Amino acid sequence: VLTVVVLLSLGRHPASGRARRSSLDARALALALTLPDASVVGVHAGEPDEPALRDYLGQGLGALRALKVPAGHDPVPPLAAELLALRPDLVFAGATAEAGEGSGLVPYLLADALGAELVPSAVNLTVRHGTCEVVQALAGGRRRLVPEVPLPLVATVPAAAPAPAGTVAFARARRGVIHAVACENEPDRRPGPTARRPARRRPAAGGGTRAARAAGGSALDRLRAATETAGEGGGRLLVGPAPEAAAEAILDHLAAIGVADLGSSTAAADGAPEKQEG
Amino acid sequence: VTRPRRDPRAERSALLVANAPRPRLDRKAPASSQPVPAARTRRDLRAERDARRREAPSGRFRYEWARSTPAAATSPTPDRLNRLSRNEPERVFLAAPEFWVLVVRDTPSGPPSSADRGLIGAARRLAGARGGVAVLGTGGGAADLFGDAGADRLLPCDPAEFATPARAMAAVKRAADALHPRHVLFGDDPVAGGDLARRWAVRQRLPVATAVVELKEAAIARRAEGGTAEHAMAPAAILALRPEAGVAFAGPPHEATLLELDPGEPGPAASSVPVPLPLDPDAVPLGEAEFVVAAGNGVADFAAFHELARALGAVKAGSRVVCDAGHLPRDRQVGASGTVLRARCYLALGIAGAPQHLQGIPEVEHVVAVNTDLHAAMVKRAGLAVVADARAVMPALIQAARSRRRTRPC
Repeated sequence: VLTVVVLLSLGRHPASGRARRSSLDARALALALTLPDASVVGVHAGEPDEPALRDYLGQGLGALRALKVPAGHDPVPPLAAELLALRPDLVFAGATAEAGEGSGLVPYLLADALGAELVPSAVNLTVRHGTCEVVQALAGGRRRLVPEVPLPLVATVPAAAPAPAGTVAFARARRGVIHAVACENEPDRRPGPTARRPARRRPAAGGGTRAARAAGGSALDRLRAATETAGEGGGRLLVGPAPEAAAEAILDHLAAIGVADLGSSTAAADGAPEKQEG
Repeated sequence: VTRPRRDPRAERSALLVANAPRPRLDRKAPASSQPVPAARTRRDLRAERDARRREAPSGRFRYEWARSTPAAATSPTPDRLNRLSRNEPERVFLAAPEFWVLVVRDTPSGPPSSADRGLIGAARRLAGARGGVAVLGTGGGAADLFGDAGADRLLPCDPAEFATPARAMAAVKRAADALHPRHVLFGDDPVAGGDLARRWAVRQRLPVATAVVELKEAAIARRAEGGTAEHAMAPAAILALRPEAGVAFAGPPHEATLLELDPGEPGPAASSVPVPLPLDPDAVPLGEAEFVVAAGNGVADFAAFHELARALGAVKAGSRVVCDAGHLPRDRQVGASGTVLRARCYLALGIAGAPQHLQGIPEVEHVVAVNTDLHAAMVKRAGLAVVADARAVMPALIQAARSRRRTRPC
């Protein structure tokens, strides 16, 4: 039987600011609950009486250990002590927290304290003969497999992981138990931010996309950016070509902009970068 | 100019008799007959211009306005002498900067990508005039491209070392031991730079700032609170920069020289090397897809459409009409009531481009449209528009894509 610990933090709704279960931690919990032959323990550092914590229980978690860590105190030492006592084979956590600093550093600090391997962006995981195969999510929907990761393992779960299926079961959420655990706390002495302001959309480096370029403009500019090809030298237009000519033109265009590079029709060994066929 | 220039400041300072508690001037004192010597040296613009005059091989004169470095900081490397003899603009060479800013690229091979340029430019801004920028990973003979981006040193590194994070850590450690950098800059990709930044911070017990979206010489801003707020702070020792924090360097080019490191202890043996998995276009969430082929009301043969998507390796999508009719599942719908794409390329087959549909592709850079209507909004939006029947173009496209794949050199 695998011992699996899921680190569950308190989330914050991005629009209303209300406390909720963190969406990434909920994904981590859903991933942990799919593992066969595993006993899953939820661990939370914070306020044990928070009603939003029960949403995790409603997802199918039996019991949750809530370490009493007051606000403004460092959650890492109590969590590390708790994990050293539980000796888990697998630790899951959302990639970043939804409230507070959200640096995504806690799993790394805990992996360091446990002497465990860490695999970021895990969307699927198989345990076989004491080692793990982890599927990692990359940008653009691509995936890669990390083979033979030794246990214990800390895995962080990204937004690309499947969302928890179904809704939060009300009866389960009421039935589940939250164990409040007293622990030694020390204040967080790291310097906080010097200023805080609401996030704003920033243009990507190098001018960004057409929408980002028009973001500061008038309504007409934004409409034009959404509906017209402006500033790209206008579009190329082929009126009523033969289907074969149209197909060649489209494939040449796709190759020129660097997507779906299928090679050229003239079959010249042009030394184009090799691309995995999918 | 023949008559002596008056220097009012010097005249005033000559009349000054007391400075505290306030400046007092004695204007009744006899004015000295000698002209007051100028208190500050005046720039002789003509002489400065003449000093920059060069004779080009063609016999014409031209003026070299590129900023030159102080003589103490330059060293006549063979490269530099070659460059001077070729009459190329002089590059800024930092012999011994006060401190270093180390840039760790996500993949330490090849010429600098636009993300790398942003990262190096950000490092240049952090280094100011007195610091140096070192980049981990050579560019395969593209040192000048790194110099243009603002780098001063290139630290050679085997790309195979970045196959696993543990080996990459060994490479970063070697570079950090040699330079003792004040700041180390990474990208913020959670499986590449962001991962390495956090590992390095935990290993060195140094403060780290991740998800940095803005970087200035003395302050940074980072995304926090689930992406809803920005926190301002002083630059931490380790920074993981999102692409929007990158600033392309626009100043005079620097001279990027190779800095050989002693090999040190080799990194751990490569274990658990990640293997890329084949992309399953049907499993990719529409919002993440890079290349999307979409069907609209002009497509009738959906078997051919699925075949085309397979042949191109593209993610399938549809307009509202198509999803309403049940030809594609609802999570494949593009537009205001469906998904907003962040794809690089969008191939629209038989889609006229209703405003509600176009709202789903504002971020798409390249649009290719196939439509019978010359005046369709999608044709206006497209970089390549083919005014033809999508039902006829699709089979030709499948055949052309297949034959290209077959003849492709492998």
